Order: sequence, then C-alpha cells, then structure tokens
Amino acid sequence: MAATLDEIRALMAEVLDVPASRVTDDVVLTDLVSDSFRLVEMAIELQEVYDVVLGQADLKDLRTVGQLAALVHSRIPAG
Amino acid sequence: MEVSEDELFLLSFYRTSEINGSLFFGRLARVLRPSPIQHDLSKHFADEAAHAWYWTECIDRVGARPMKLSEAYQDQYLEAAGMPMNLMEVLAITLVFEGRVIGQYRQHAELPAVHPEVRATIERIMDDERWHLKWVREALAGLEPKYGKEQIDATLARNRAADREVYAHTLAEFESRLSFLSAPRESEA
Repeated sequence: MAATLDEIRALMAEVLDVPASRVTDDVVLTDLVSDSFRLVEMAIELQEVYDVVLGQADLKDLRTVGQLAALVHSRIPAG
Repeated sequence: MEVSEDELFLLSFYRTSEINGSLFFGRLARVLRPSPIQHDLSKHFADEAAHAWYWTECIDRVGARPMKLSEAYQDQYLEAAGMPMNLMEVLAITLVFEGRVIGQYRQHAELPAVHPEVRATIERIMDDERWHLKWVREALAGLEPKYGKEQIDATLARNRAADREVYAHTLAEFESRLSFLSAPRESEA
C-alpha cells in the first residue's frame, strides 16, 4: 500500500488521538502521549496498515515523529 | 483455615497481574486486524479478566480483601525486556511470561497446607494457562516466515534473560513475604 509521509503522520495522529497539527516531524514521540503503550498500539497499527515490520531494535535510532514516519515510508513494499 | 498476610499479599499480586494482563491483551485485541491471532488473543484477554475475577472471588471466600498494589509484575517485565514493537515481540514476551506464571502457580499449589480455595482457584486457572502457552507457541511458529526463526529465537532468548532478572528481583524485593514459597513441596515432605 503506497503512502505519503503526510498520510503516515495522519494515521499516527488518529491512533494516538491527538490533533494532526501536533504530529510534526520534530516532535519527540514520547512527548505526544503519557501512556507509552499507546506508542506500541500505534507501531502495530502502522505495521498492519502498511504491511511493514518494525522492531525493538529500531527504537534505538528513533526519537521523533519524522524519523518514524520516514522509517515506515522506506519499508513500505514497492508496487 | 485462614490465609496468612503473606499469602494474601501473593493472591493480591496474582489478581493485579491478571488485571494488567487483561488490559494489555484487550488493547492489543482492539488494534489487530481479523486473523486467527486476533481470535486467540481476544480469548486470552477474556481469560485473564476471568482469572482476575477468580482471584477476587477466592480472596473474598477466604474472608479477606484484596491488597491494593501499585505496580504489577508486567510493569517490571516491560522495563527489563523493553516495550515490544511488533506482534512477534508481543507474543515472545507473552510466551516467556506465561511459562513463568504456570511455574509460579504450580509451585504455589504444591505447598503443604494450601487453603482449599486457593488450590481450587489455581486448578481452575491452570487449564487456561496451558492453552495460553499452546496458542502462543503455535502463533510464533506461524510467524516464522514473516520474522525469521533466528529473529524469533533471539527475541525469546532476550526475554528469558529479562524474565530471570525480574523474577530474581521480585523474590529479593519481597523476600520476607514470599519466603513461605520455599517451604518443602508436598512431594518432598
């Protein structure tokens, strides 16, 4: 399923139940929600919708919305 | 026959742990798309909620009230093992955790002089727990083509290391409360 970075950010906002205007590239993920399990739910939703795999190992290099959106975008299967 | 204050603490610990497990699986079941894993995870969620109720009932029947515990065992687990980020990692941590739960319930049931209500509650729960291990093990095997067997084995190994760390930490933290678990087993007495 093809997707733009904007669409990925919009899905993140929807799952986290925060205004899309808050989900901008430089925002730190953990600042978006106080409940860290919401981030797990979001990660699983992104994987289900875009058929990508994210893992704990990816977390080491991920801090911001922009980094996560770019990672998901880069892993979306072509076609 | 009464339960001791220390045993009441452990029963309350079980209850809190089952509540947290239920909330964890319920949230996951809500996120997942329809699939055999969503189906079994939903049953798992319901089982954990039922077990929390069984412990609540059990504590009531032995004439006590559940202790309010601030942190559940799972919180320490996630702290040590890290937050799972995909379905395979969720199932891997679940498999290791369920193995620990079965071992803990079995150890408790084998103690001499266990209150009949406590033994009955453990026996009532154990069939579900064995099914939890079975479905999660099978689901992980089914995920091998997607995640790779090596990756799954490495995740399980990491979670087993975290499990040993958390269990040792818990025993040390509540040493005085849990020392009764070290009593000779019925089979050894």
